[in-house]
Amino acid sequence: MELTGAQRIEAPREAVWQALNDPDILRQCIPGCQELVQASATAFTARVTLKIGPVKASFSGAVTLSDLVPPHRYRITGEGQGGVAGFAKGGADVWLESEEDGATLLNYSAQAMVGGKIAQLGARLIDSTSRKLAGEFFSAFAEIVAPPPIPAPALPSEAAS
Amino acid sequence: MFAFTYHRPDTLTQAVALLQTREEAKPLAGGQTLIATLKQRLAAPSDLVDLAALPDLRAISREDGRLVIGAMARHAEVEASPLVRACLPALAALAGLIGDPAVRNRGTLGGSIANNDPSADYPAACLALDATIITDRREIAAADFFTGLFETALEPDEIVIRVAFPLGGEGAYEKFRNPASRYAMAGVFIWRGEVAPGEALTGEILVRVAVTGAGQGGVFRWRDAETALAGAFCPAALEGLVPPADEMIEDIHGSGAYRAHLAGAMARRAVARLMVAGA
Repeated sequence: MELTGAQRIEAPREAVWQALNDPDILRQCIPGCQELVQASATAFTARVTLKIGPVKASFSGAVTLSDLVPPHRYRITGEGQGGVAGFAKGGADVWLESEEDGATLLNYSAQAMVGGKIAQLGARLIDSTSRKLAGEFFSAFAEIVAPPPIPAPALPSEAAS
Repeated sequence: MFAFTYHRPDTLTQAVALLQTREEAKPLAGGQTLIATLKQRLAAPSDLVDLAALPDLRAISREDGRLVIGAMARHAEVEASPLVRACLPALAALAGLIGDPAVRNRGTLGGSIANNDPSADYPAACLALDATIITDRREIAAADFFTGLFETALEPDEIVIRVAFPLGGEGAYEKFRNPASRYAMAGVFIWRGEVAPGEALTGEILVRVAVTGAGQGGVFRWRDAETALAGAFCPAALEGLVPPADEMIEDIHGSGAYRAHLAGAMARRAVARLMVAGA
């Protein structure tokens, strides 16, 4: 399935780009992510637990960043094995545009694939679930990068220096 | 199935305590979703807390202008109950349309609404009839209870004990079943009644339309249809009206546009049924 959308973030493009490359921020935004460890500049290992209704499955897998054009765009892909539950893989092209007022428009075009038992049982729900998870990711991201009261946490500014 | 510890408490206090103290305990009602999930090894709770031995959770009674149904009442019991058939015939009919006989003889009202599957039938009745969900610790209006796909206002250790449906007015439910599995591809519950005496706008006609099976976020109130029907209560008032297709479930069984179309068609059928019943 395909999922495209855009989210306006009240922060300059540089700051959004830094956050998109910060494992600590990514970990907080990926729904159900318990661990995201950086293996290299563009590779991470992740442990994600997803709970959808009665189903609860833990996936461990790899997250990779590619096609990097800082601070404009990259591609983020992930692939995970959930044991008997099956597997999930997905990717998103993400590109940033500066708005006239200094905010940033984050555009994404994502694809998700689920296989194994979880796909057979949940076929009618994969689309809705993916949309919901993508929504959770981007709203959490917007909140962390441009929180209403206090500015971004310490980590991203450290990475920027 | 993965191993788990089975409990069958006799009191609500014990049941809640088990849910609070065990590492990853799940309450078990009729098991028509949960047991299938466990058999497929898609969940691995440490403990199952069977609610079957709790007293008084299956009763159906009429109290102060409300029909009160115990959370552990089986769908088949709601369908066959003379009291439900007399007070809220549309609810009895809805219960008779759920799944197959095996599901109706094991599945429960409380289990259905606590799971809040986007294709479940009962959530539509709860929303359209403005039901109140009574738990071991509080009362929650249906409008606040269903919060999204498989999500409710319930705490992890909270147990639904009863659901109260206000009486008055008339309802009708129409459902397009998935041909293989009989869940709702789109189900529409419509209620029409009058504003109760003593409140503002007494005597004014009120319409509530709840749609299940179609929306990506689960059951929802279809306000555009309510407005149209408040103007003129007839199927023609809904002609050409469909919920937004991009907010509908899209899968191998049907596109978002198809489900939006089904929701419109089921709504018109429910209105037609109500007009026949009211004539």
